[in-house]
Amino acid sequence: MDHSAVALWGLFIGSSLRLAMPMLFAALGELVSERAGVLNLSLEGMMLMGAFAGAMGSLWTGQPLLGLALAIVAVLPIAALQAWLSVRLHANQIVSGIGINILVLGATTFAYRELVGLRSRVQIPGLATWTPPGLEGVPVVGAALQQSWLLYLAFAIAVAIAVLLRRTAVGLAIHAAGAEPAALDKSGGSVTRVRIGAVLFAGVMSALGGAFLSLGDIHTFTEGMTNGAGYLALVGVIFGNWKTGRTVLACVFFGAATALQFQLPALGIEVPTALLIMLPYVMALLAVAGLVGRQSPPAALTEPYLQPGR
Amino acid sequence: MTALAVARPTLGAWRSELWVPVGAVVVALLGGLALVAAAGVSLPAAVAAFADGAWGSAYAVGASLNRAVALGFVGLGFIVAHRANLTNVGGEGQIAMGGIVSTALCLYGGAASLPGPLAWIVPLVAAAIAGGVWGSIAGVLKVRIGTNEVISTLLLSFIGVWALYGCVQSTRLLRQPMTDSATLPESLEVPAATQVPQIAPSLDMPLHAGAIVLVLLAALVAVVLARSLFGLRLRAVGLNPAAARRAGMPIGATVVVAMFIAGAFAGLAGGFMLQGEQLALKARFPSGYGIDGLVVGLLARGTVKGVLASALLFGFLRSGGIAMELSAGVPSAIVLVIQGLVILLLAGSAWWLHRRKRA
Amino acid sequence: MPEAAARETLLAIDGVGKRFGDLAALDGVSLEIAAGEIHGLLGENGAGKSTLCNIVFGVHRADAGAMRLGGAPYRPGGPADALAAGVAMVHQHFSLVGDLSVVDNLLLGQARGFLRRSEFAAEVARLSETFGLALRPQAIVQELSVGERQRVEIVKCLMRRPRLLVLDEPTAVLLPDEIDGLLRVCERVAASGCGIVLVTHKLAEIRRTAHRVTVLRHGRVVARSDAPADEIDRLVRAMIQRDLAGAAPALRAAVGSDLRTNGAAAAAPKDAGAAGVEPPGEVVLRVEGLGLRDADGVPLLEGVAFTVRRGEIVGIAGVEGNGQSELVAVLSGATAATAGGFRVDDAPMSDHAPKTLTAAGVGVVPEDRHREGSVPAMSLALNLALSTLQRFRRWGLVDRAALAGEARDRMRAFDIRAAGPDVPFASLSGGNQQKAVLARELSLPGLRLLVAAQPTRGLDVGAVEAIYAQIRAAADRGVAVLLASSELDELLAVADRLLVMYRGRVMGECAASQESRPRIGAWMAGHAA
Repeated sequence: MDHSAVALWGLFIGSSLRLAMPMLFAALGELVSERAGVLNLSLEGMMLMGAFAGAMGSLWTGQPLLGLALAIVAVLPIAALQAWLSVRLHANQIVSGIGINILVLGATTFAYRELVGLRSRVQIPGLATWTPPGLEGVPVVGAALQQSWLLYLAFAIAVAIAVLLRRTAVGLAIHAAGAEPAALDKSGGSVTRVRIGAVLFAGVMSALGGAFLSLGDIHTFTEGMTNGAGYLALVGVIFGNWKTGRTVLACVFFGAATALQFQLPALGIEVPTALLIMLPYVMALLAVAGLVGRQSPPAALTEPYLQPGR
Repeated sequence: MTALAVARPTLGAWRSELWVPVGAVVVALLGGLALVAAAGVSLPAAVAAFADGAWGSAYAVGASLNRAVALGFVGLGFIVAHRANLTNVGGEGQIAMGGIVSTALCLYGGAASLPGPLAWIVPLVAAAIAGGVWGSIAGVLKVRIGTNEVISTLLLSFIGVWALYGCVQSTRLLRQPMTDSATLPESLEVPAATQVPQIAPSLDMPLHAGAIVLVLLAALVAVVLARSLFGLRLRAVGLNPAAARRAGMPIGATVVVAMFIAGAFAGLAGGFMLQGEQLALKARFPSGYGIDGLVVGLLARGTVKGVLASALLFGFLRSGGIAMELSAGVPSAIVLVIQGLVILLLAGSAWWLHRRKRA
Repeated sequence: MPEAAARETLLAIDGVGKRFGDLAALDGVSLEIAAGEIHGLLGENGAGKSTLCNIVFGVHRADAGAMRLGGAPYRPGGPADALAAGVAMVHQHFSLVGDLSVVDNLLLGQARGFLRRSEFAAEVARLSETFGLALRPQAIVQELSVGERQRVEIVKCLMRRPRLLVLDEPTAVLLPDEIDGLLRVCERVAASGCGIVLVTHKLAEIRRTAHRVTVLRHGRVVARSDAPADEIDRLVRAMIQRDLAGAAPALRAAVGSDLRTNGAAAAAPKDAGAAGVEPPGEVVLRVEGLGLRDADGVPLLEGVAFTVRRGEIVGIAGVEGNGQSELVAVLSGATAATAGGFRVDDAPMSDHAPKTLTAAGVGVVPEDRHREGSVPAMSLALNLALSTLQRFRRWGLVDRAALAGEARDRMRAFDIRAAGPDVPFASLSGGNQQKAVLARELSLPGLRLLVAAQPTRGLDVGAVEAIYAQIRAAADRGVAVLLASSELDELLAVADRLLVMYRGRVMGECAASQESRPRIGAWMAGHAA
């Protein structure tokens, strides 16, 4: 391969990973939540709040790490709200998710305009990049792996989740909460606690994913910048058949589909923008249309656990 | 999927059925007002701008009603599907599809040369069919593979909206011929013959015939849901598909038809929006009517009267919100906040209502 | 029978009451369980036994009264509290996670941190050994038989070293041999000092193992006994307010009073139909080599073949989970067979929609009346006509008046007690709901075959009697009846012929009489006799 082709490949892989990042964080969090039985349509809203709060935090303090912290702090109440609505009040999980998304979109748009001004694109101190030592000069891989350190964190978290689900008591409780909550209840566990914890975890992960958008990728905040990433993360979990490894692959796949938006024009291939933007959603639709194998969701997903009244 | 606990209003529970949506809206509005104040806008100025934009003139009333009509259509479709426990979240995309087909027929499909009312009726019907087909894709996926219709309609919605964007970007598709680089990405205006006639042109009210169609369709939907065999089937399939199947009801067909209806109503809304209000297809054509229509459907708690009432509320709210932004400098994002609050309050209250019914 | 020696009181229940809305499920219930005793809680379906157990285990909170465990006040807020206090319960409907292994299910709720599966498996093996409960630790729960699953539930309880073990209708899902095994396990556990509450509506078990008995009826204590084996008649009368002598065999079977050991009573005559009953006529249902595999290729039914004739009642015996549900699903058109087929009146019917089957005269009473049998939120009238609503169609709308009129006729004919035809189906009692489902199926025009699965599950004795009377009457009219039930005694009393299913195959066929019991028992356990 000649240099430019190599460079392009490196760029493509790097872009795919980078674009997959926000979805990956959110999807990992949602994976845990859905395994426990709660569907969070509010991923989009939580990510957006993470992006907003992360940007604001970094802007005010000049420290992107503090921005990350603020992102998490800002999203936790939203996740708590979603948890309370779904788990304690047994609200329809779809309805509450949509409500939160609309609310957060309105709130962040309003707040951004108030705090920063109409239509300004302020540059925000962003997160540093990191490459695994020794790989800098390597063709393709070196360029591809020069990523914000959050990416490596995401992969580490993915591994941790896989281990947690398979080998720990908490993982067992999560599995039971999603498959047969009565079993967990009658064994003395608390379905409520497990589910609330899972939703909060999804919130933290969504915050990180959203913060990555404004801090790790674009280094600014624009209104509604998540632009459907939260929904794609949801589909990533379905695509991944509720297994950690496959979910990671699904998100990278969506990242690649998004990356094509920029890559194809760079290669001189003229494809209408609309088609390219559509591509991840079309792939996602094909996924849920079952063209990627049988789906086996947790049996009690979206069903509120109605404890036989105390 | 657990549906929003739609409790059919019995005589005794009627009052609490009404309290909850009304209460939710009031609290949400108060929250919105608080934000307006936080934005530093003088409340009296904001409220005055709102009132003026919503109902301050005959023109304003007409515009608000038009908006309410579009929302009403989407909401009607929503509650039909919801009766069968199907949640249609794809209103935006279905409206987009309706808009695309309607524009295409009006501008290039020869609809303008059809005699009399057919010129505007045929594109409307086509828009409805387009939306219906778009919605029924989700229905088919649900029946054949069991795909959750929330996810599939949502994805289809994104695809539909981006398809619309693509159509108005390309002059080979629906974009008006580009005279220079500043030509906006939108279609030409549809010919006068294909525009939906106004009901009271002399009053300087832009209210179009969609209002009449809405009322008629609303009555039809009410009768169908309450008294027809199809309506009963929808209900049975929604409550207990296993028993419905055992009883010989055609579940698959019912689901697909229900989703078709939901999409068709949204597509029809798109048609009216194009041929009655906006008159040209623009990039952000659906502009949130799909989501608003969803909220209208949810607020309605399964009744046609509820749809009409909520549609009116949100139609006027939208007009007022736009006026607040233009005249008083209040961000339109506040309307989004109000909507979000309404949905969340309703979602949370369903539990409370359900508890009271069980006691 | 072990003598009731003086034992210390373990659990004292005093004046406990519980209401669900308008319904008083329990009212002023008082009893005492002693350590090391097997205390039988007897009562027919709906008497309140399960509610009481759920209160003891913390699933429900009592509205009135108090409990004392080991002398200290006991008021559990949930299963976690009960387990911590040393109370464990084996439920009627198992709470196991199907796609996990036995070991994982046992670890659930007990483990902390990282799962040490192999260490745990050793502990499990030890417990199995001590109490005689055979288990396969690595097996996945959904592949286990019902009896095995119950053993997992029991071991799960025993692992916590409980002071009190509550078993809610444990024998309902067991083979005759397994019932013996379970009762022996109970004796061993009691001997180790644990108190046992054995909830049942079967007299035979009480007679065999219970040291003391409390009888509930309509939520109240109506009788007690310290020597139940000797006072069975008194207990029965208290339980169902009727005398068994002279009662229909089906009714006696419902309370398990036709005892295997009592040969004389066992030879009681079956319900003789009225004079003029037609002898079994031509074949209505012919099942040929029916096979069914699930999505993973696991065989659920294999080579099932039998016939049912006009006027005949054929029973399918066998513990639940051996293919009866799948067979009924195929016959009702819910599932398509993967091999073979069946004919109704010589017309091939396999792989047809339920609508076609209904038109061909097949009525089905499904085993779960809430899932496939009815739409509980809709009215009684709608449910009574659910499969034939199109008859009431006038210009696309449904004629409510005619619907209500027909509903009233059915209510009269089948003695369905409800406030009116437009009340929600869910507001009827279990017995009336089942009568309604049966009424709908029996009223099908041109009914040729009735398939009923577990028709008397969860019903009180009065409803059981009514259901079987209607079924018998239908058979007398010439309807072919196929009855699947895990209540062997009831089948023996009502059916003409019996088939026994085990793991999806028909093991054998015989006349439905007490003499066939040993063969039936062997077949039910999977032995080709």
